Amino acid sequence: MAMGRWTSAVAAAGVWLSLSAFTPSSVECIAPADPGGGWDFTCRTVGKLLYDLELVKEPVKVTNMAGGVGAVAFSNVAAKRSDDPNLIVATSTVGITQIAQGRYPGDLDVMRWLAMLGADVGVVLVRNDSKYETLDDLLQAYKENPGVAVAAGSSGIGGWDHIRLLMLAKEAGATGEQIKNIRWVQYDGGGPAVTQMLGGHVEVVATDFGEIAGFVESGDVRVLAVMSDERLEAFPDLPTAKEQGVDVVGYNWRGFYLPGKVSDEAYQGWADVMKKLYDSQEWQETAVSKGLTPIWRGGEEFESWVEDQTARMRGISKEIGVIK
Amino acid sequence: MDTLNALFYGFGVALQPLHLALGFFGAFIGTLVGALPGIGPVNGVAILIPLAFSLQLSPTAALILLSSVYYGTMYGGRISSILLNIPGDEPAVMTTLDGYPMARSGRAASALAVSGVASFVGGTLATVGLTLFAPILARAAIHFGPAEYFALYVLAFATIGGITGANPAKTLLAAMIGLAIGTVGLDPATGIPRFTFDSYHLYDGVDFIVAIVGLFAISEFLIFLERPAGTHQPRVEIGSMRGAYRDVRRSFGAMLRNSVVGFIAGVLPGAGASLGSFLAYVFERRISNRNDTFGKGDPRGVAAPEAGNNAAAGGALVPMLTLGVPGSGTTAVMLAMLITLNITPGPLLFEKQAELVWGLIAALYLANVVLVILNLPLVGIFTRLLALPYWLLMPIVVMASFVGVYSISHSPFDLYMMIGFGVFGYVLRKLEISLVPVVLGLLLGEAMEFNLRRALSISNGDWTYLVSSPIANTIYVATAVLLAIAVAMALRRERTPH
Amino acid sequence: MSDRIAGLLIAAIALVYGIVAGGYEQGFGDPLGPAAFPRIVAVPLGLFALVLVVRPDAEPAWPRARVLLRQLNALLVLVLYALLLEDLGFPLATFLAVTLLARELGARWRASLLTGIGLGAGLWTLFDPILGLPLPLGLLAW
Repeated sequence: MAMGRWTSAVAAAGVWLSLSAFTPSSVECIAPADPGGGWDFTCRTVGKLLYDLELVKEPVKVTNMAGGVGAVAFSNVAAKRSDDPNLIVATSTVGITQIAQGRYPGDLDVMRWLAMLGADVGVVLVRNDSKYETLDDLLQAYKENPGVAVAAGSSGIGGWDHIRLLMLAKEAGATGEQIKNIRWVQYDGGGPAVTQMLGGHVEVVATDFGEIAGFVESGDVRVLAVMSDERLEAFPDLPTAKEQGVDVVGYNWRGFYLPGKVSDEAYQGWADVMKKLYDSQEWQETAVSKGLTPIWRGGEEFESWVEDQTARMRGISKEIGVIK
Repeated sequence: MDTLNALFYGFGVALQPLHLALGFFGAFIGTLVGALPGIGPVNGVAILIPLAFSLQLSPTAALILLSSVYYGTMYGGRISSILLNIPGDEPAVMTTLDGYPMARSGRAASALAVSGVASFVGGTLATVGLTLFAPILARAAIHFGPAEYFALYVLAFATIGGITGANPAKTLLAAMIGLAIGTVGLDPATGIPRFTFDSYHLYDGVDFIVAIVGLFAISEFLIFLERPAGTHQPRVEIGSMRGAYRDVRRSFGAMLRNSVVGFIAGVLPGAGASLGSFLAYVFERRISNRNDTFGKGDPRGVAAPEAGNNAAAGGALVPMLTLGVPGSGTTAVMLAMLITLNITPGPLLFEKQAELVWGLIAALYLANVVLVILNLPLVGIFTRLLALPYWLLMPIVVMASFVGVYSISHSPFDLYMMIGFGVFGYVLRKLEISLVPVVLGLLLGEAMEFNLRRALSISNGDWTYLVSSPIANTIYVATAVLLAIAVAMALRRERTPH
Repeated sequence: MSDRIAGLLIAAIALVYGIVAGGYEQGFGDPLGPAAFPRIVAVPLGLFALVLVVRPDAEPAWPRARVLLRQLNALLVLVLYALLLEDLGFPLATFLAVTLLARELGARWRASLLTGIGLGAGLWTLFDPILGLPLPLGLLAW
C-alpha cells in the first residue's frame, strides 16, 4: 500500500518533470552527407516521424552538410552552434570509427551523445559454391594462411567492415600478425563487393546486411555468420557468429549527437523525446522495413556505451597498425 | 514471363494517369535541373526524394518519377554546353567540344536539334537493350573485375590526347592536372588524407560540380569582361531548321554507333555516363574525322557524346535492376530510395517486383518520347537565350551555380573553391589549354587509381595479375591499335600539306 | 613567354606534389599504397609541363590594366558574396551581388536592381520552400 503510493508519487513526479522539462522547437537536423546517403536518410525519416508523432511542433528542417565523413559538420557545430538545444546531428558507427582513429577535429567529449535508435547488422558471406561451409572453416583457413581468401567490403582498411571481420578472426584465435595479413579490398558499397565476389574476383565479403539482403534471398551467396546478438527475425535460418562460438557482435547503429554545451535539461528532454519515438509503433515498423534492427540506447547509458565502443575500436586499430 | 508480354503489362502500369503525369513532370524537372550548371544528375535526383516521400508515392511511382528526372538531366545538360560553353552537368562536358563551335558559327538550332535527336536515339536504344538483354548483360558485367576496369581506363587515357585538335602536349598536360586534382581528399582504401592541407573541407576531395562550374562558367564570365563595358552580345545567327534536318540525317550513323558504345559503358557498374560520352566522342572522332572537322563544329561530334551519355544512363539501370548494384552515382541514389521504400534490390527484383521493373521500363520509353517532344519545339526558345543580354544571363548562371552547390554543402568554402577554379580555368584558357581533359582526369582518375590498387590488393602486389585476364588483354590490344592508327594518321597528315 | 612561365610553375608543382605524395605511409595490406598513384602522375605532369617550356606556343593576349581591374572587381564581388552569405542571408547577399555584377557587365542601374531582386527572391523561393533545401535568411530572419 505504502509502496504503491510511493511509486505513483514518483510516476506523477516523472510526468510533471517531463512536462516542465525542455521541449525542442524549430528543430534542425544536420545530415553530414549528401542527399541520398545513410545519414541523410536518418535525418529525414526521424525528422518526419518526430513531426508526425507530434513530438515537435514544427516540421524538422534537414540540412545537408557533407564533408570529411562527418568531420565538417562536427567542427561546424563545435565552433558555431555548441549550445543550440534545437539541433540534432545524425551519426552512426562510421562517425565513431573516425573519432576513434583521430580523424575528427576533437574527441567524444566535444559533443553529447544522444541515442541510437536502430542498427544494421554485420554479415560475412561467400559464394554459394564456396568451399567454406561455416564461419569456422573460414576462420581456421585464415589461421593457417591469412592470404588464402581475399575479403572485400564497403569500407577501407581500418574501416568498420574490415575491423568487424578482423574481430572475428581474432576472437577465433588468430594472432595480430595473422589478421594483418588477411587481404582486404575496398569497394564503393556492399552490393558492388558482392557482385565482384560473384564474378570470382574476391572470395569473402564482410559488410552490412541491409544492402545485400537481395543476394541472400536469391541464393547466390552463402551467409557464414550474422554479427548480431540474436538471429534476424526476417531471416531465421542465418546463423549468428555467437552461436558458432565466436563471441563478436558488429552492429552499424544509427543515432544522433547534440552540441556539446547544451544544458542537462535539454539533453534529458531530447533523450525522452527519442525514447518516445523509439517506442512508437511507427518507428518499429519503419526501422524493420528499412532493414534495421530496432535497438535502443539513450542518454547516459548511450554515452558510456559509445565511450566503450570507441575505446575498443581504438584498441584494435592500434593493434593492426591503422593508427599509432 | 515472356519479354513482350511483360513489356505490354509494363505499359499498362506506365500509362496509369498518375504514372504518366509523374513521367511528364519528371522529364520536365530533369531537363531544367540538367540545364542548371550548379546541380548535377545525382543531386537533382536526390533532392526530389523527399518530394516522393511527402507525396506518399508507391515505389513504382517514385521510381518512375526519379528515372524520368534522370533521363531528363541527360537531355538538359547539353543545352548550356552548346549555347554557353558551360556544361550543365558532368556527362555534358564532351558536348562543349563541337556543340559550342556550332552555336558560334550560327548553327545553334542545328546543334540543339542534333543533340536532342541523339539523346532520344541513345536513350531509346538503351531502353531496348535493357528490355531485351538485361539479365544476360548483368551476368556478363560481373566478369569485369579490377584488372579489367583498369585496362578500360588505360584505354580512355591513352586516347585522351586526341580529343582536341590543339597542341597534344597541352591536352595531355591538362589531363594530368585533372588526375592530380582528383587525388585530393581522403584515400578511401586507407583513410589517409592526401593533399588536404589539414582542411576537413578537402577530405571529400574536389566536388565535380564545383570544378566544372568554376572552370567553365566563372572563367567564361572573366573572358566576357575583357570586352569594353556596355557592349552587347554580337547578334548570333541561330540557323534554320532545314540545316538542322540535314545535320540530323548526316549524323544519324554516329548516333546509332555511339548508343552502343555508351550503353556498354553504362552497363559496367561504376563507369557511368561520363565515361560513356567520353568514349563515344573519342570513338567517333577516330572513325569520322577525315577532314579535320571535329572540334570546329561537326554535328557528329555533338551526336556522339549525347547518344553516348543517354545510352549510358539507360545502361546504368541494368546492374541496378538486375543485381541491385549502382551503375552510376545517380542510380546509387535511386537504389538507396528503393531500400527506403522497403524494396529489396537484388537478383530477384525482376521476379518479385514485376510491376515495378516493367512499369519502369515502359515508363522510360514514354519518358524518351516525352523528352524529345518537349525538347525539339523548345529549341526555338532555348536559342532565344542567346539573345538575352549578357548582364542578365551571366548572373543567373553564376548565382544558380552558387546556390546549387551551397544548398547541398552549406559550406562557403566550396564557393571560394569555385571562384579559385574560375581563375585557374581563365588562365588555362588564355594559354589555350583545353579544360575538357582537366575535367575528364578529375572524373575518371579516381576510378582508375582504385581499380589498380584493388587489383594489386587481390594479387598481393603481383603486377602480372593486370595482364592475366583475356578481357583486359583484349582491351590493351585495342588500345595499341587505336594508338597506332592515331600515329599513322598524324604522320600522313604531316606528309600531305593541306 | 607565358607558356614557359606556366610550364616551369607546373613542373615545380609536379615536383612538390610528387615529394609530398611520397610521405603518405603505406598502410598494411595495401600493396600499392596511397603514395604510388600520385607519384606516377607526377612524372608525366612534370614532363608535359617541361614540353611547354621547350616548345611554347605564341604569346596569348593578356588583358590590359583596365580590363584586369574589372575582372578583379567582379572576383571581389564573388568572394565578398561567399564571405557574407551566411551573415547577410541568402536573399540579401544575392540581391547585392547580382546587382553589382549586372552593373559591372554594363546594365543600367534600374535593370541591375530588378535583376538583383528577381534572382535573390526567385532562387530563394525555388530552393528553400519548393525544393526543401534550406538557405540562410540572415538579417531577414527578423
